[in-house]
Amino acid sequence: MLKLTIKLIAAALLAVLLAVLLFLRSISVGLDSMNLRNGDWVTSAATGSKDAGVMLKATVAIGGLLASTKENSMYYRLSSIAGEPLSLNCRYRIEGTDYDANWWSITAYGWDNYLIPNADNRYSFNNENVMREDDGSWTIRVATDEQHGNWLPIGPAGAPGWRKLGDNDFDLLMRLYTPGLTYLDTPVSARLPTVIKEDCL
Amino acid sequence: MNFLKWCLPIVVCAWLGQYLLALWAPNLIMEVLYYQAGEQNGYNRLFISPIPDATARTVVRPSPDLIYAICVYDLSEGPVSIQALVPARYWSMQFYQMNTDNFAGITNQRDEQNLIGSVLQVTLIGGADNADAYEGAVIQSPTDRGVMLLRASAIGDYSASLAALESSQCGQA
Repeated sequence: MLKLTIKLIAAALLAVLLAVLLFLRSISVGLDSMNLRNGDWVTSAATGSKDAGVMLKATVAIGGLLASTKENSMYYRLSSIAGEPLSLNCRYRIEGTDYDANWWSITAYGWDNYLIPNADNRYSFNNENVMREDDGSWTIRVATDEQHGNWLPIGPAGAPGWRKLGDNDFDLLMRLYTPGLTYLDTPVSARLPTVIKEDCL
Repeated sequence: MNFLKWCLPIVVCAWLGQYLLALWAPNLIMEVLYYQAGEQNGYNRLFISPIPDATARTVVRPSPDLIYAICVYDLSEGPVSIQALVPARYWSMQFYQMNTDNFAGITNQRDEQNLIGSVLQVTLIGGADNADAYEGAVIQSPTDRGVMLLRASAIGDYSASLAALESSQCGQA
């Protein structure tokens, strides 16, 4: 009897441990895939909504708590380019123009979902402070070392490394506030900035 | 065979367990935020956070382009009254219930630009209350507890946004 009880307790503990691991994996995958893909950017039309599924709600709670519904703001996340996770060892270039929204911003977050510590206290660019070419287009350079023009510094996340779940060192989040119908109706094909990997160490 | 007899139930329970965790996680995370913010700043009170930087680690993915003001509300003692001056630049008032659902919101964008410059008066009532018994803008919270979040543009000169938040209030009606 005692032997069976010990076996049952061990089985229950194993099931709980496995459930936690599966859950964390689902969250990590969920953040990377959401459910709508537009190039390398991913989003979800149900973020913040009561219609969001169980796993999406958990994913948003962990990776984007207090997100608004899409009518107020849409969030596009990019954590890899053609399947290659964003790395601190590489330099990236974001090219874009203007978008159908009241305003937009692009922010770099560490893998821990918080702003990345950097000496310049520069965490994002938005439609007002990004330096543009004469035709209105712009380029943001994402790198650990100083770049000319619009430099978005990246570096190690503030959290201890053992807590890292995914493969990417950081990600980019594009916020579109009060997006136009293009984003609300066709989020997978609406125009977004292009992110290009320049080189790696 | 004996090994398989144990493995299958463990795997099935673990598979189902991840969904139980997913059901439970949003509420738990909101409870933590609710408790932390409430104990630190008070309940049914508006608290303006500094513009987020790398040291801001209360809520994940803060926007460095926004100023936030939060009111963790508790309607168990009755409705909560919210007054907010609506600035010219981007501003929104969003309501979240304890499972993280963004159940209501007001902005000063697009069709709601007419709100700019006005002082918005909102009465926040519980799910069991009769909305018809109140005058003016009424928002019904599905649950007695939740979070109201004001967001205002912090781009460039944000003094008007800050002044708007500083003059806003959240308190027992």
